[in-house]
Amino acid sequence: MISCRNLTRRFGDFTAVDCLNLEVGAGGICVFLGPNGAGKSTTVKMLTGLLPPTSGTVEVCGLDAAANPLELKRRIGVLPEDLGLFDDLTVEEHLLLTGAVYGLDRQETHRRTSQLLHALSLEHGRHTFASACSHGMRKKTSFAMALLPSPRVLFLDEPFEAVDPVTSRVMRDLLQSVARRGVTVFLTSHILSVAEEISTQVVMIRKGKIVWNSPVGELPQALEQHYFDLVESPVVEELEWLGLSPS
Amino acid sequence: MARTVAILRALARAFQRGEKSFASLAGNNFFLVAVLFLGKAGTFLFLIMGLVLLVPLSTDPLRKIPKSRLGLWPLEKREHWVLRAASPWLNPMTWAIAALALWAAHGVVTAGLWALAAGLFAAGFLLSDLPLPSGSAMWRRVPHFPGALDQLIRKNLREMLSTLDFYCALLLSLSATIYRAAGQALPAEAFMAMTVLVVVALSSFAQCLFGLDGAGGLARYRLLPLRGWQILAAKDAAFLLIAMLLVAPLAPLAGLGSALVALAMGRRPSVEDPRPQARWRFSAGTSPVYGVVEVMAMASAASAIFFTSALVLAPCVAAWLGSLWWYGRRMEQVQGGRFRG
Repeated sequence: MISCRNLTRRFGDFTAVDCLNLEVGAGGICVFLGPNGAGKSTTVKMLTGLLPPTSGTVEVCGLDAAANPLELKRRIGVLPEDLGLFDDLTVEEHLLLTGAVYGLDRQETHRRTSQLLHALSLEHGRHTFASACSHGMRKKTSFAMALLPSPRVLFLDEPFEAVDPVTSRVMRDLLQSVARRGVTVFLTSHILSVAEEISTQVVMIRKGKIVWNSPVGELPQALEQHYFDLVESPVVEELEWLGLSPS
Repeated sequence: MARTVAILRALARAFQRGEKSFASLAGNNFFLVAVLFLGKAGTFLFLIMGLVLLVPLSTDPLRKIPKSRLGLWPLEKREHWVLRAASPWLNPMTWAIAALALWAAHGVVTAGLWALAAGLFAAGFLLSDLPLPSGSAMWRRVPHFPGALDQLIRKNLREMLSTLDFYCALLLSLSATIYRAAGQALPAEAFMAMTVLVVVALSSFAQCLFGLDGAGGLARYRLLPLRGWQILAAKDAAFLLIAMLLVAPLAPLAGLGSALVALAMGRRPSVEDPRPQARWRFSAGTSPVYGVVEVMAMASAASAIFFTSALVLAPCVAAWLGSLWWYGRRMEQVQGGRFRG
């Protein structure tokens, strides 16, 4: 479903993503892990056609992202890093907009909108403008927009950060449910416990390069420890004035 | 005192980076017209200057510090007062108003002038402490439109209604309409001129159609399965609807031609060089020269339609359609575009 070959993105002299090769099959939940600035969001942007790669190829649902951008957009759902919301639309209006532009009929759009608003505890804020929403509400709105047209592939950039525990649970259940129906999910996260719980494939990236890529069952140890060993381990500074010492 | 100085210094740096009040003046077509042609109309110019200057003043630099943060800092009451009194002087507009007041007084500083200055600053402080509506909240109920672009057009309407361009155009349109309704005899050409002025007041927005969408909005446009021309058409629909409502009681056909020319000419800066705009300001176009050329083309189209034939509308429509097609394609090509500045 998702395939990229030698995917590279440079910004001037800085290489954000370096020769990335990746395959994610239908119905898989691939969790893309790495520290801040490792190249996760840049990769998501290239996979979704938001950012052209410097070199390499991307194929999603069998479509070349560069050659068929419109067709690709019809088949994917995205929760982008900046959430992609309009300040002048309410939560509900964002979902109605999504249904209309993805070709759902009015009745179906309203039905799915109501269900998603209810499932994600957004009902009370359905008439709130995005500019007045909390970060968590904005994230849930963007998540609902990604799900509403029933896409074949979901790209989610840090979906669980800043959402309440109950909604986080609902989101995890929804993702596992759609994956069972053959939808491919590609997500980035810093919450390792959640990543370990829902993923079928784990990819770790450091300084733009993949340092681990395997099914979750093939991890040699707990995900957190493996991450610390491969990607980065916590640095313990001597901060005596805070009562913290390396020992 | 060291704390206050440190805060003011940081505030000055932040304000300098984000300041748009001067840009708002320099690139606005209506302001250009006012300066070029209405310089002698003292009262009128002062009215406009007041509108232009007072509202930016209300965006107090102190607003750059989140209220929660300001409340958390261990500052004494006296330090809060110093910050309150000193921070407006970080805004160049404060100095501009002071200079304007001195110029208006021809160098003679009277008690009345002091009172005017005091009143202005009091208004500035008062406005800065008022929670300004976001614009969208003020215009929650906008009409629905048929088709898939309904919500986009509604959003675009709300954006336009949160710029000062609209209110300036509304003021002009209402004045002319009331004058006409009162049975005052005016030559028909005067209504054509007022029509052009109304569309000129809106025209800078045509140069920055995506200015209020923000980075998130631009990202969403690139994710939606829509053609570039459809996104532009949703913008145009909102612009034309507002323009036509305002010129309907004046010279509607001339107004339509003028609005179509404004959209066609504003397309390049809107798509190729999207500039962020601030709410409750006048829109800032790409450059004064571009603005003057745009205004001249709009005025030519309107007068040709008004004085010769309505058929002149045809090339205006053709220019608009051509720009829609061409820049619709450009929008699809511009991947990963970001706002300047």
